Amino acid sequence: MSVLDVSNLTMRFGGLTAVNKVDFAVDPRQIFSIIGPNGAGKTTVFNAVTGIYEPTDGQIRFQGHEIRRPLTARTIVGIGAIAILTGLGALIAYNIDGLWRAVITANFKYLQPFPYGEAFGDFFGYVFGALPWTSSILPFLFGLAIGGAGAFVVWNRSRRTPNVIAQRGIARTFQNIRLFQEMTVLENVLVGMDTRMRTRFWHMALRLPLYWREKRETEAAAMELLRFVDLADEAGYVARNLPYGHQRRLEIARALASNPKLILLDEPAAGMNPSETVELMALIRKVRETGVTVLLIEHHMRVVMGISDHVVVLDYGNKIAEGTPQEICRTERVIEAYLGKEQIG
Amino acid sequence: MSRWAQSRASWLKPDFVFLAVALVIPVLDLILPGFLQIGSQMRQIFLFAILGLGLNIVTGFTGLLHLGVAAFMAIGVYAFAILSSEIYPFRFGFWGALALTPVVGALAGLLLGAPTLRLRGDYLAIVTLGFGEIVQDVLRNVETVTKGTQGINPLPYPNVFGYEFVTETYQPWYFLFLGIVVLVVALNRNIENSRLGRAFISVREDELAATCMGINTVKIKLVAFALGAALCSLAGGLWASYLGSTGEPGNYDFQVSILAVCIVIVGGMGNISGVLLGALVMIGIDSLVLVQLTRYLQQQGLSSTANVMSMPNNWKYMIFGLALVLMMRFKPEGLLPSRRVKAELHHDEPPKPADRLCPNCGYPTGTSTVCTECGATVAASS
Repeated sequence: MSVLDVSNLTMRFGGLTAVNKVDFAVDPRQIFSIIGPNGAGKTTVFNAVTGIYEPTDGQIRFQGHEIRRPLTARTIVGIGAIAILTGLGALIAYNIDGLWRAVITANFKYLQPFPYGEAFGDFFGYVFGALPWTSSILPFLFGLAIGGAGAFVVWNRSRRTPNVIAQRGIARTFQNIRLFQEMTVLENVLVGMDTRMRTRFWHMALRLPLYWREKRETEAAAMELLRFVDLADEAGYVARNLPYGHQRRLEIARALASNPKLILLDEPAAGMNPSETVELMALIRKVRETGVTVLLIEHHMRVVMGISDHVVVLDYGNKIAEGTPQEICRTERVIEAYLGKEQIG
Repeated sequence: MSRWAQSRASWLKPDFVFLAVALVIPVLDLILPGFLQIGSQMRQIFLFAILGLGLNIVTGFTGLLHLGVAAFMAIGVYAFAILSSEIYPFRFGFWGALALTPVVGALAGLLLGAPTLRLRGDYLAIVTLGFGEIVQDVLRNVETVTKGTQGINPLPYPNVFGYEFVTETYQPWYFLFLGIVVLVVALNRNIENSRLGRAFISVREDELAATCMGINTVKIKLVAFALGAALCSLAGGLWASYLGSTGEPGNYDFQVSILAVCIVIVGGMGNISGVLLGALVMIGIDSLVLVQLTRYLQQQGLSSTANVMSMPNNWKYMIFGLALVLMMRFKPEGLLPSRRVKAELHHDEPPKPADRLCPNCGYPTGTSTVCTECGATVAASS
């Protein structure tokens, strides 16, 4: 079974079709490259896979399933509870004056114990007895509709957001490095580990034992990852002060921190010099050896041809070729569209 | 690793300096002559420090500009008053009401946060500003509940192990407020150095990258709003008890929100010790320096109530405005900047080699002098 199965993916932005009916399947532990000239739609495919865009058409399956939060009984109960609470809130807010008089003022005697039971009864008595339906039922329904619709819209929007997809095991890096610039190298990796952490608010606020244990474990694991990408000596530096090539490696470490099954690298070799590029190729191979599948966008033909198991070529949003690097090199359409005249002449 | 631990340790130091100074002030008051005694006025500084720390979570850590802090303070004031006053049936007493006040505040924070989550920057600031005005108007007009412009009084004074607080001696209040400030600072520190604090800061730094790392940014922003609102309403509850009354709803207006923003900006956005220093400076100028100066000038016959301009305590907003302008010009990161914000604001330093682009093809060239993309030679220095 393939790790990632993209079928018939189409992305349209207004009149522009950025990606047009693209199909490909990534097998486990592959290094899979997507190449193509500038503007071919490679990054758009990445954004659709990681949930930044909702595909206009087509399906993206991860390990055989589409990633989308299911509609569970808990969700329905939650949305219903929010709707009822906002309904009650609207009812109380609309009639606050009369309710306060009938429930609190009428039952309250100075310095005497307050009869909570009676007051509770008076609340229903006032709402169902004294109020006309226009000021009891209508505000309640209004609040119910607003609260229910609001909660549903928020839930619906959050069904396929990048964080849901990241939690399922797809991590990514960005074409123009998007590190947390003012955090230290170690903290960057720790943010990447957030999905693996179990501490809750009270553990953090009161520094309960779980907080300390998790801090120890995650910091050790983060240092392990930094050693893996050869950045351990820079753990305490603020990320923006790292050299460019190191920032690229840190982004890979941050993506690996969530223990992904699939990692998407968006032009990791961009702006690197030849020796850094060679190191990067070794790193990508090392990542694959740990059992992570790699999906790669790259411009450097040396990187693509050197490490890919399988290559897909996009041009103007269409898939024009697919195969092993050797096969791609020999395809005439690819040479025309991508490698250009230099290769021919 | 050791480097990282060291930077953490040095961060904690200003807190302990402040605590030591705060503990010495009541002792100094016993020695110093009357006009130099500041202990009584320090209580206001503590309250505004809590308010500033609440705002710091929303604006400093999470990067959401919040101009409606006074609304949460007012909600805290009225929640405390209604839950504790004898003219209402609940009568939870000082401690019970004080414990419930942040809960009410957090719920109000969620109520404001939920519909505004998708707003950013200026738009969010305007919504929070509007919320501040709405809360004031509601409190003024729901007279059956809030007693309108009369305010609710009297409110119970604190009671510690049978010891009743009185207005005449300030020391018990001083240590109570100081204790609560210490707890709030400890809470803030714990959160800052934990998973939640990192999530707050990652949302501020790069929201898209944060969400791609699996952080639920919607939830994180809601938590920031609720937590900030809880601390602001805690400050409100203490304020109500300190005054013994809620005062008029108009007391919790835009001026208070702006004062809180000034405290955070002058002190150093995103830095807890900075916020404490900011409260000391801003409220110190307002309620210590200017008040004493006015008294001194009146004794010398240099200022009189006949001419309002000659009274230094009317110079307050002029001085605040001037302080803000000067800070923004010369030290935009605040008096005690957090290392992160400082780096963000000083972009005028020469660009790093990593930012260099190839003049031929526009590709970033990294540290090499030859462009890896097109082979053109790049100037060796920037």
